[in-house]
Amino acid sequence: MTHVSNTSAPLLKIEALRLTFGQRDVLKGVDLTVNKGEVVVLIGASGSGKTSLLRCINLLNMPSHGRITIDGEAIYEADTKARDGNDVPAKTVNRIRSRTGMVFQQFNLFPHMTALENVMEGPITVKKADKEATRKEALDLLAQMGLQEHVGKYPRQLSGGQQQRVAIARACAMHPQVMLFDEPTSALDPELVGEVMKAMVDLARSGMTMVIVTHELGFAFEVADRVIFLDEGTIAEDGPPNEILLRPTHPRLKSFVGRFHETADLLRPFLESS
Amino acid sequence: MFDFSVITQNWPLFWNGLLVTLLYSALSIAAGLVIGLVIGLIQLTGSRTLALLGRVYVEIFRNIPLLVILLWIYYAFPIFAGLSVTKFWAGFAGLSLYAGAFYAEILRAGVQSIDKGQSDASTALGMTYGQRMRRIILPQAFRRMIPPLAGQSIIQIKNTTLMSMITVPDLLYQASYVSSFTYRPMEVYTMVGFMFLVLLVPLTLLSRKLEKVSERMK
Ligand SMILES: Nc1ncnc2c1ncn2[C@@H]1O[C@H](COP(=O)(O)OP(=O)(O)OP(=O)(O)O)[C@@H](O)[C@H]1O
Ligand SMILES: [Mg+2]
Repeated sequence: MTHVSNTSAPLLKIEALRLTFGQRDVLKGVDLTVNKGEVVVLIGASGSGKTSLLRCINLLNMPSHGRITIDGEAIYEADTKARDGNDVPAKTVNRIRSRTGMVFQQFNLFPHMTALENVMEGPITVKKADKEATRKEALDLLAQMGLQEHVGKYPRQLSGGQQQRVAIARACAMHPQVMLFDEPTSALDPELVGEVMKAMVDLARSGMTMVIVTHELGFAFEVADRVIFLDEGTIAEDGPPNEILLRPTHPRLKSFVGRFHETADLLRPFLESS
Repeated sequence: MFDFSVITQNWPLFWNGLLVTLLYSALSIAAGLVIGLVIGLIQLTGSRTLALLGRVYVEIFRNIPLLVILLWIYYAFPIFAGLSVTKFWAGFAGLSLYAGAFYAEILRAGVQSIDKGQSDASTALGMTYGQRMRRIILPQAFRRMIPPLAGQSIIQIKNTTLMSMITVPDLLYQASYVSSFTYRPMEVYTMVGFMFLVLLVPLTLLSRKLEKVSERMK
């Protein structure tokens, strides 16, 4: 799928990013620029650092070195002197963080709030937005996700696929400039994967900038502008999906993608329907 | 064998004692909850110094018998600090400080039992630490904390009887006074036990009910 990527303004810029957990180097110098409107899919073996990289972008993980800029403003700059290791003050971090929206593998909806309240929570609490306007917009967002009948339900009353769509609406309600997805369909029953993917495809088509970790290579092939292969904490391959997925050069990518070719035929029907 | 006329004849004393017991229970539970909230939360901010401070507080007040705390505050602390401490303040402070340590532990455990994803999701929305606690974590944690909080509060109400040792005229103090001139300890202490039962059984039932309601909301 092709975007109107004429605006090649870098929206997200990651430079020389390192992340360590104790003694373990999880990210070993990652450089990545994502342009406005671009859909980037991150793939890689388990433990290669996909989740970690995504969580660094909104500082759920505090990196140990490097620089992260979102729409021209740094959310992270290495400074060993600062107490939390970040040169950027906490207030600025919070402000820039709300330029990102995140969707988690386990949905992480707020269980004590209805679907509608979940979606309204960010604008009301963080942006101190007008309640009525927020409610109206939240209802619209939920309707776009096909959830108009479920707005008053609590998360435990919803299926996994419905919960994940509420989570996407919740992230959208903050009007983020970039959306981060960490394996959004991995916790779902196979028959519920499609409905969540469809919501993501719609979002991509609306021009949203997205960074997506997924094992659904069919989705990557159809929707991504770029596919990035992460290997042991570094970017091993970065290119358009047909190059990365159909003509891989990196040996580990070859074996990783091998599985895709075996299952590609199975995915074909879904791809055509989306 | 039982002669409950000693109770009816001295009822005003029992009644006054009961009021004092209720007053100290309410005040020390309220103050203990505030202390517990502060001590519990400072252990969760991520600051090592604050966490250590909270830890030290909890270990001191949780591991010294309440009676020793009360006696120390009433008799030793005034000498130590060079100021006079009334019975009221000594009893109130001792009970509250002691309860605070237990409430803090309940709060800390309750907050830590909330899935890490909740704090991730609220942080990702741009919420500050205070907003996350207030809007997301504490409302969920409080539901889980109802049974242990109720249990600790019941213990706390019974613990007020120890104040009789520093001559605060609570129910137990009045009872020992009555029994000292009527020589009817059996009736007197049976009555005290009965009064605590009447007071606490409804509270236990209430907490069960709250627990059920919060269960349904989960
Ligand atoms: N909080 C943490 N503390 C210590 N080590 C961690 C932590 N989080 C992740 N790691 C380690 O960092 C490495 C990368 O983990 P990460 O979750 O980013 O991998 P991933 O590519 O998302 O894998 P998966 O496909 O299994 O989700 C792993 O070896 C993991 O054990
Ligand atoms: Mg992961």
